[in-house]
Amino acid sequence: MNALADELAAANVGSIFLYTHEAHPGENYPHLTSMVQKAVHARALRDILGVTRPIFLDALDGAGHRAYGTMPNMTWIFNRAGIPIYKSDWSDHHSVANALTYFLDVSQRRRGRERLVPFRVERLDYRTSDTEAFYAGLARSGPKAVDEFKKAGL
Amino acid sequence: MTTPELLAAYNYDSFTPEKVLRWLNFDASPPLGQPAPDFPLWRLDGPETSLGEIWSQHLLTVVEFGSFT
Repeated sequence: MNALADELAAANVGSIFLYTHEAHPGENYPHLTSMVQKAVHARALRDILGVTRPIFLDALDGAGHRAYGTMPNMTWIFNRAGIPIYKSDWSDHHSVANALTYFLDVSQRRRGRERLVPFRVERLDYRTSDTEAFYAGLARSGPKAVDEFKKAGL
Repeated sequence: MTTPELLAAYNYDSFTPEKVLRWLNFDASPPLGQPAPDFPLWRLDGPETSLGEIWSQHLLTVVEFGSFT
């Protein structure tokens, strides 16, 4: 997602990371109790996991996150008027890149005076399922996060 | 739910189905094609802003929600 953000910045596509809550709290990254702690965890996202996009913090009660469905790692695309034109319940750079290519083409067609009207479409996209990387992420949070995920059976 | 209860429930202290699944509500999220709700955000090392201020700055804006864990 970072590379995609860099690649499309010149096309006037902005990209941000919105920090929510700890999906898998562990000994190293426990559940959040303050905005100061939230900022510390967000800096770790930047410095350890290498997120280079601007990071913004949601309120501690997750007001924004909850208003958009509270999925742990979703992606939305908005136009300049604040109209959502893409939403996915999981983040995948292939899916986002595909959508952005389409929407940038729409913008180009509009500049060419083509008359376009919106319609709704549903599509099932596919992402890589990397179990090893997922468990490595849980382990970064701590053994508690690993154990709880195994016990949850989700 | 009081504010302290909401803070504790949203920022759950352990990953269990009872604490996690209640929040997952993508099917009821804002629909595409209609103005979406705005809300305040805080820059990592700066002042308060809003999602609306951010999306108004570009032709398109990609917003990834998530956390370290």
